[in-house]
Amino acid sequence: MKRYFREWSVFVAFLAILLLLAFRAPDFFKPAQLLSMLCDAVPVLIAACGMTLVIICRQIDISIGSQFALCSVFAGLAASNGWPMPLVGIVAVLCGAIMGAFNGALVAFLGIPSIVVTLATMVTWREALRWWREGEFVSNLPDTFQWFGLGQQAGQFTIIAIAVLLFLFLAFALKHISAGRFVYAVGSDKEAARLAGIHPQKVTFAVFVLMGALTGLAALLNAVRFPDVDPKAGQGLELKAIAAAVVGGVAISGGRGYLWGVAAGVLLLSSIAPALVFLHLQPQWEKALQGLIILLAVAADGWRSVRKKL
Amino acid sequence: MKKLLTALLSVSVVLGAAGTGNAADKPLTIAMMPKSKGNAYFISCRKGAEQAAKELGVKLLWDGPTEPDPAKQNEIVETWITRGVDVIAVSVENREGLSTALRKAKDKGIKIITWDADAEPDARDFLINQATPEGIGYTLMDEAAKALGDKGEFAIITSSLTAANQNEWIKNIKQRLEEKYPDIKLAALRPCDDLKDKAFSEATAILNSNPNVKVLMAVCSPAVPGAAEAVKQSGRKDVKVVGLGLPNENKRYVHDGITTGVILWNTEDLGYLTVYAAKAVADGTLKPGATTLEAGRLGSLEVKGDNVLLGKPFIFVKDNIDQFNF
Amino acid sequence: MTNHSSPDWKAFLLRFETLLIAVLLAEIFIFSQTAENFTTTGNALEIIRLSVELGLLALVMTPIILTGGIDLSVGSLLGLCAISFGKLWRDAGLPPWLAALCTLLIGAAAGGLNAALITRLKLPPLIVTLGSFSLFRGLAEAITRGVDNFTGFPASFLFLGQGYLFGVIPAQLPILVLAAIGIWLLIHRTTFGRSFRAIGFSPDGTRYAGIPVDRRVALVYILSGVFSALAALIYVARVGQAKADAGTGYELLAITAVVLGGTSIFGGIGTVHGTLLGLAVLAVLRNGLTLSDMPSELAGILTGVLLLSVLAGEALTKALSRLRKPAGAKSVAPTSQPKPQT
Repeated sequence: MKRYFREWSVFVAFLAILLLLAFRAPDFFKPAQLLSMLCDAVPVLIAACGMTLVIICRQIDISIGSQFALCSVFAGLAASNGWPMPLVGIVAVLCGAIMGAFNGALVAFLGIPSIVVTLATMVTWREALRWWREGEFVSNLPDTFQWFGLGQQAGQFTIIAIAVLLFLFLAFALKHISAGRFVYAVGSDKEAARLAGIHPQKVTFAVFVLMGALTGLAALLNAVRFPDVDPKAGQGLELKAIAAAVVGGVAISGGRGYLWGVAAGVLLLSSIAPALVFLHLQPQWEKALQGLIILLAVAADGWRSVRKKL
Repeated sequence: MKKLLTALLSVSVVLGAAGTGNAADKPLTIAMMPKSKGNAYFISCRKGAEQAAKELGVKLLWDGPTEPDPAKQNEIVETWITRGVDVIAVSVENREGLSTALRKAKDKGIKIITWDADAEPDARDFLINQATPEGIGYTLMDEAAKALGDKGEFAIITSSLTAANQNEWIKNIKQRLEEKYPDIKLAALRPCDDLKDKAFSEATAILNSNPNVKVLMAVCSPAVPGAAEAVKQSGRKDVKVVGLGLPNENKRYVHDGITTGVILWNTEDLGYLTVYAAKAVADGTLKPGATTLEAGRLGSLEVKGDNVLLGKPFIFVKDNIDQFNF
Repeated sequence: MTNHSSPDWKAFLLRFETLLIAVLLAEIFIFSQTAENFTTTGNALEIIRLSVELGLLALVMTPIILTGGIDLSVGSLLGLCAISFGKLWRDAGLPPWLAALCTLLIGAAAGGLNAALITRLKLPPLIVTLGSFSLFRGLAEAITRGVDNFTGFPASFLFLGQGYLFGVIPAQLPILVLAAIGIWLLIHRTTFGRSFRAIGFSPDGTRYAGIPVDRRVALVYILSGVFSALAALIYVARVGQAKADAGTGYELLAITAVVLGGTSIFGGIGTVHGTLLGLAVLAVLRNGLTLSDMPSELAGILTGVLLLSVLAGEALTKALSRLRKPAGAKSVAPTSQPKPQT
C-alpha cells in the first residue's frame, strides 16, 4: 500500500470529488452523463498510456495534439471516400504511427532532444493542417462512420470497451512482456540497458511509433462519436496526457510509472470540467484548478522524497 | 552581439540596393484580415472577397492569425503598414487593441475599413455592417424566446471567455433578456474554445445538470452543431438549439427539428461587399457624406453615416436552409 | 567563451553560429527579392520593435535552459502580469509607474513560486512550470472572469510600446538592448553566470565544488518572472489593452529561439548571442513572409522545418566529427549528453 501511496491518493481524490457531487449534484451520475463523460475520457486515457511509455523512457512528446487532428481528418476523408470502416481505422492508426516514427527517428537515431523535435513537429503539422483545411469540417460521412454504424448506445459501449481492453493489455504487457520491461530499463539507465543487450535506440523509436499509433486510435474513437470531423480536434491533448501521467505518479525523470495510476489521473482531471458545470461554478476556474492539482501532486512527491533524505 | 546587428544592418542596406523595384502602375492592393483563419465562416467570406477582387482587378491579400495570440492581428497590420498597402479591411478581434495599430496605419495614409466586427470609430473610415451587435444579440434572444414560449431557462455556449465579439453579443442578449423577457432565466454560460467536440461535452453536461434548460444558445459557429449533436444524443425531444452558424453544418439538425433557427447573413456577400467598399474608399468614390454604394452584383446598397449596410441578420430555418451552400 | 571544453566543442560551436548567420543572411537576401519594403531601416526597426517582448522572454530563458531547466510558464505569466497591471491601475487607482513596479514584484513572486518548488522540493522544472503554466493562465482568467479588458491607459504609458525616440527609434528598443547586454554580461562575464553551464552539465558536481546551486537556480527563475512582467508591460503598452489571453504561445516561441540559437536543451551549452541570432532568424522569417504576401501558416511550418533542419544538421555534423576522430582518442568533454534535467 505504501509503495503505491501516490496512485491511491489520486484515486481517493477522485472519489472525494464523486462524493461531493453525489451530495450536491446527483444528476452527475445519470447514465447518459456518465457514458458521455467516459467517452470524453477515452481518447485522453489512450493518449496518456502512450505518453506514460514515452515519459518512462525519459522522453516527451508534445506533438500528439497535432497528430490527433491529422489522424481524425484522414480517417474522415477515407470514410467520406467510401472506404470500409476497418480500413478507416487502419488509416487512423497508421497515420499516427508514421508521424510517431518521424519523431522517433529524429530522437532515437539522430539524438535530438525529444522536447525540441516534438515542439517542431507539433507546430509544423498543426499549421500545415490549418493551411490545408482552413477549419472546414470533414462532412458527408457515411452512416457506418458514426458509432461504427452500431447506433448510439452500442457505439458508446464499444468505444469504452475498446479503451478498457487496450488499457488492460498495455498494463499487462508493460509488466510481463519483456518488451515492456525494456522500456523501464532504458528509462532507468540507458548504459546498463545497453550492456544488458537491449538496444535503447530501437526501444525509444518503438515507443514513439506506439505513441503515434495510440494517438491515431484515440482520434478514431473520438471521431466516431460525431457525424462530422472537426480539424481542430485534439487541441491541448498533449497537456492533458502529460498532466494525467504526472498526476498519476509517472516520474518525469524516467524509470517509474504504473498505468493504473495514470488511469486514476485521467479520471481525476477529466472530472473537473463537468464538476464545475454541475456545481454551478464559474468555468474559468478550470485551468487554475488543473494547474493546482498538477502542482499539488508533484509537490507531494517532492515533499516526501525531501523528507526521506532528512 | 551589437557588432553582429550592425553588420547585419549594413549587409541588408547593401542588398537593399538590389531590392525590389516598384512597377510603374501597380494594381490596388487590398489587405483583408479575418479574425482567425481556421474557421469555415471566414472561408466563405474569403470566397466572396476573391470573387469581387477578380471582378475589380485588384490585388487581394488575405492573411490573419492562426495562433491564439490576441496581438497577432496587430503584428500583421504593422507589417502591412511597412509593406505599404492601399486599404486594410479587418474583422477586429480586439477592439481597443487593434485600433491602436489601425490608427497608426490611418496616419500613414492607408484607408481602413472594418467588416464583421468593428474597431473604434475613429480608427477606421467605414464599417461594413452586416448586423450590429445589438441586432445580432436581440435576434438571438428573440429566437430563443420563441423556442421557449417566452418562459423557462436557457443556456449559452460561447467560444472563449475572452472573445470580444461574443462578449459584445452576450451583453446585448442579456440586455434584451432583461428588458423583454422577465420569465426567462439564463441558467449557465460555458465556453467551448471554438471546438465543436468541447461544445458537445459542455452541452451534455449542461443538459444533465440543468434539467429545466430547454434551449441551448450557441454563439459561435462550431458550437451550433456541437450543441445540437448533444441534444440528439441525449434523446431529449424537449430541448431546442438556436445559434449563430453556417447553414451547411446545421442542415441535418434543422431538418431533425432540433435546431429551430440558425442566424447569420450571407457571408459570401459580406466578403464581396467588403472588397467593393475597399476599392471605393481607395479611389474616393466612397467618402463621408455618401448615401449609397454600388457593389457589383449586389446592386446599390445603403450607406448610413459611416456604416455600409449589408442588411439584417438572416434566419435559416427548415424551409429555406437548403437553398444555401456554405 | 567556454574554457573547460575541448577544442572539438569550440570548433563545432563556431560552426553552428556561422550556420545561423548564413540562414539569417539567406533569409534577408530572399526576402529582399520577394518582399515589399523589406530592406529598409524602418522595417528593420519594426522587426526589432515587434520582437521585444519575445526577446525578453528568450533572453531570460537562456540561463534557465543552460542550467538544464525550462520554464513553460512565461507566456501565462505574461498574461497574469498584464491583467494585474490593468487591475492595479484601473481598480486600485495606482499611477502607472507604481502599478508597473507592483507588477514586476508580482512577476518576481510568481517566479519565486516556480523557484521554490524546483529548488526546495527538487521537482522537475518541466512539470512544475507545466503546472504553473495552467495555474497562472487560469488565475488571469478567473480574476477577469475571462471578460474584463483593461484599456484607456494614459498616453505617457502607451509611449513605452508605441512611441518612437527622436521619431525613429522604438521606445522599447533600449530596454531590449539593456536586457541583452545585462544577460550577456551575466552569463559570459561573471563567475556567477559561468556557473550556470556547470550546473547544467552536472548539478551535483557543481554542488561539491562549493557553489550554492539552489540559490542560483532559484534566482534564475525569479528573474524569469521579472522579465515576464516587464514583457507584459511592454505588451500592454504596445497593444493598448490588457486581457487574460495575452502572451498565449510565447513560451514555445521563446524556447524555439533559444534552441535554434544553439543552446542545448540538456543544459551546459549555449550562448546569449546565439539566442539573439535565433530570435533574429525567427523574427525576420515572420516579417519577411508577411511582406511577401505569404500566409501566416507558412511561418509556422517553416519555423518547425527550420528548427528540425538546424538541429538535424547539428546532430549529423556531431556524428560525422565523432567518426572522423582517430580511434582511441578521448576528448575532455563527455561524448554522451549529460542526464536530461527536464
